[in-house]
Amino acid sequence: MEAVEQGVLGHLMALERDGMGQQDQHESQRLEMLKVRAVTLRAQRDQLKHQADAVKVRRILKDKISKDLPLDDVDAAGGFIDLQKSLLTAWRMQLKDLQRAHHLIGGYDLVECKEGKSVCVSFHTAFEGVYLETYNMELDLTRTVQISRHNIPPSFPLESIAKQILQKDLKAFLQTLSQKLNAFAGRRQQVCLLKELVGSVEVMESNQLCNILVLMCTAQGETPKAVLCTLEYGDLTQCLPTRVSIECEDKTLSESPQWKKNQSLLLESPAHTALLTMRRMGSIA
Amino acid sequence: MEQKYEEEIQMLQQEIEMLEAEQEETLRSIFIEHGDRLQHELLCLVFEEGGGEQDLSILITEVRELEKDLRRQTEINGIALNECFVKTLHKSERKLVQQLRLAGHCSVLLFQVEFAVTEIQEDDALRRRVTELNIVVDGVEFKDFSAFVSRVEDTKDLLLFFRTLRTFSERCEERRQTFQHFQEKYPDVVSLPEGCRSELMIIRSPQLPGTSMTIFWKIDVSMEGVVKPSLELLLKMSDQAREFDTKKVMENGSNYFQSLLQILGVEASIEGLIRTMFVRSHKTSQRSRRGNFIPNLLFDINTCTITR
Repeated sequence: MEAVEQGVLGHLMALERDGMGQQDQHESQRLEMLKVRAVTLRAQRDQLKHQADAVKVRRILKDKISKDLPLDDVDAAGGFIDLQKSLLTAWRMQLKDLQRAHHLIGGYDLVECKEGKSVCVSFHTAFEGVYLETYNMELDLTRTVQISRHNIPPSFPLESIAKQILQKDLKAFLQTLSQKLNAFAGRRQQVCLLKELVGSVEVMESNQLCNILVLMCTAQGETPKAVLCTLEYGDLTQCLPTRVSIECEDKTLSESPQWKKNQSLLLESPAHTALLTMRRMGSIA
Repeated sequence: MEQKYEEEIQMLQQEIEMLEAEQEETLRSIFIEHGDRLQHELLCLVFEEGGGEQDLSILITEVRELEKDLRRQTEINGIALNECFVKTLHKSERKLVQQLRLAGHCSVLLFQVEFAVTEIQEDDALRRRVTELNIVVDGVEFKDFSAFVSRVEDTKDLLLFFRTLRTFSERCEERRQTFQHFQEKYPDVVSLPEGCRSELMIIRSPQLPGTSMTIFWKIDVSMEGVVKPSLELLLKMSDQAREFDTKKVMENGSNYFQSLLQILGVEASIEGLIRTMFVRSHKTSQRSRRGNFIPNLLFDINTCTITR
């Protein structure tokens, strides 16, 4: 009996030892990884520090330039190369900044593809300072200008715009499309914002192109009344409606000066802004 | 033991971030201070073939490619940026706050734009917004532009500003070219008292003193950025001539001009007006488009002729 127990116990103890050994192995592997990472980062940091010194020295050398001293009158020939390197790096930084600037101001970010046979353009959209969707398009330039690929929503009248302008004037086409896409994004964003900010107003109807919007508001008063506001966006290049109609069972309400004013508000300012104002003035709930 | 390494790694990462930010700043300030001289010195290096060390050749190629791309963007966007100052106010893994100051031109229209932009990397997307916007425009064309600029600054609509600027500059360019064309073609009759970039063109004939036609070519920009050109005609006649104005050309002249614009378009309409200023001798008895500008003038809309 003892011998068997020893055997089993011994076996168990051996297993325990092995198990711990594996854990040790894991631990030492992780330690190795951390050690390697630390060494890599240290090297990166040191290189940057060295470069930083170099850049500072180059600034001093640049002083020489501003004082009109000859450039190649530097301590070592290597110094001149380093100087050029820093200057080129600075130039590269400026060029990258300019690229970013063009991107931020809504540029088309034109990229040539397939050895110049086609180009890709991007349409950036924004509303009230918030950047929204970016739409992309590939234009094939082999014989005539054709749209080969794009991710513009299908409800958008892309075909008709392309038919009218694309062949005659590429820049005008891009400009018109950018204008319409931005207006579309703006109208869509207004619907999102009014759902978010003015919860008390219900969106009864809206469509893919966001050129019609029907809202149900609750007019404040002795008895709250339902008012239906219909906003029609006849001009697809604009974010504001071309027509606003107010409907209410109570005709005196919809004809009242207060609601005439509300109608103007809805015509002159973005939907969510107008509704927030109306709520603040106590006109609606 | 592990912890010690982890701490060191975190510290190194922070140091690296700081050093990289410092380096960016230094590079930007070098360019600000010596940008012109820099480009002048290195122009030959970058734009001529051959030369340059191993290390440099990669940089040179990069700079060449970036310059080429920048020309492409400038051309397609219609906006040229002469100055670009970037200041990074905050940079971390998920957030970037920058201030940019740009100066440039769109055709002949100059602008200066300062704005701040914040980018936050959220799980699914990059959220970017403009948080400050200041715009300065310069040029005689901009006299009625300020309402639009104020609105755009309030709504922070940087993209709308540049879209509108492009369209506006195209309309201004059309006007400038048309005015200049007529002044060169008829220097005795056409004058641009405020220059070819202004909205005024005056037509007068030395043989008909006291009589003039002033064309106002306004380019209106609404607060929402809608660009609308409109032309108006103002007729001036000497008292003597007015006595003969039985057909009431003075009163109806500007309306006739509007109709003419719709049918013939701008250039042909202005050409027609100018030609009425040429005084012919009495020999001509037949109808012709050239005629004396006498009060008994009638614009015949149907046949597009000017007869007595």
